[in-house]
Amino acid sequence: MEPVKKHLTAVLRVGLGALFLYAGVIKIINPAAFAGSVANYQILPYAGNYLVAAILPWVEVICGVLLVTGWRARSAAALVALMNAFFIVLLFSTVVRGLDIDCGCFKQGGEKTTAWTAIFRDTMLLVAAVFVYRKGTK
Amino acid sequence: MKTDVKRLAAEMAAIVLIAAAIGIAFNHRLLLEVFRGQESQAPAAAATATPSTPAAAATPLPLGLMQVKELVDTGEAIIIDARDRETFRKGHIRGAVPLPLGEAEGLISPFAERTPKDRLLVVYCGGYDCHDSRLLGEKLLAAGFGQVFIYEGGFPEWRDAGHPVAMGGE
Repeated sequence: MEPVKKHLTAVLRVGLGALFLYAGVIKIINPAAFAGSVANYQILPYAGNYLVAAILPWVEVICGVLLVTGWRARSAAALVALMNAFFIVLLFSTVVRGLDIDCGCFKQGGEKTTAWTAIFRDTMLLVAAVFVYRKGTK
Repeated sequence: MKTDVKRLAAEMAAIVLIAAAIGIAFNHRLLLEVFRGQESQAPAAAATATPSTPAAAATPLPLGLMQVKELVDTGEAIIIDARDRETFRKGHIRGAVPLPLGEAEGLISPFAERTPKDRLLVVYCGGYDCHDSRLLGEKLLAAGFGQVFIYEGGFPEWRDAGHPVAMGGE
């Protein structure tokens, strides 16, 4: 049983890392488009949307690299868990406020992902991140 | 345990700080443009509003928030909204004229007939990654207008700066 757990942790860690690496890189390519996605949430002022669009993708990339390599993976997993928890709250707020927007999680301007789909996906990622955090790089 | 939490928090903070440093450095030009637009709201920065003529420009030149505000206040320019009509109805710069890019082929000719070619035109759309204002601006230049500018911040920047907006009608 223990080897299965060991491999499961490694697979989840690398998978989670690769996903965040991908999510970050495609946002870095077009920061203005991502700023538009952030603006859709109607929370920040104009310049704030650009600031988040400039920084958040790099947090995702760094966390992705750390998770894939396994170096400081627990910290990266904790940060990913926190980010996902925040994203879930944010997505719930769009449902409550009646905003029918694309979550902007991955490709900007691509196929629309509804809030409920994104909430489900982020919950899965949150569970995976907590699992990796608890198990570390063991 | 307490030390572990502290170390974890410190490492998480380090990740965010490093990401912020890289992100801001990587996007410094974009961020400078955005923040310059915001700074220009300051009254002290209210310099000459009328931009220089883009002599034979193939593409319309950009204008910042301050200049557009001055042009709107003085009525020197025709402000053109390049977004679709539904979006226009939901909110637009007060006094703007709707000229959706999707309907440009049919609308530019009548617009050109009733508008002097030397009038200052400022075209905007949804800001961020929106290219409609630039594309419409190019069509207006091709139609013979000599002073066509685009407002890259678009409606979001204008609205968030607290400047007058209108909803509904045309």
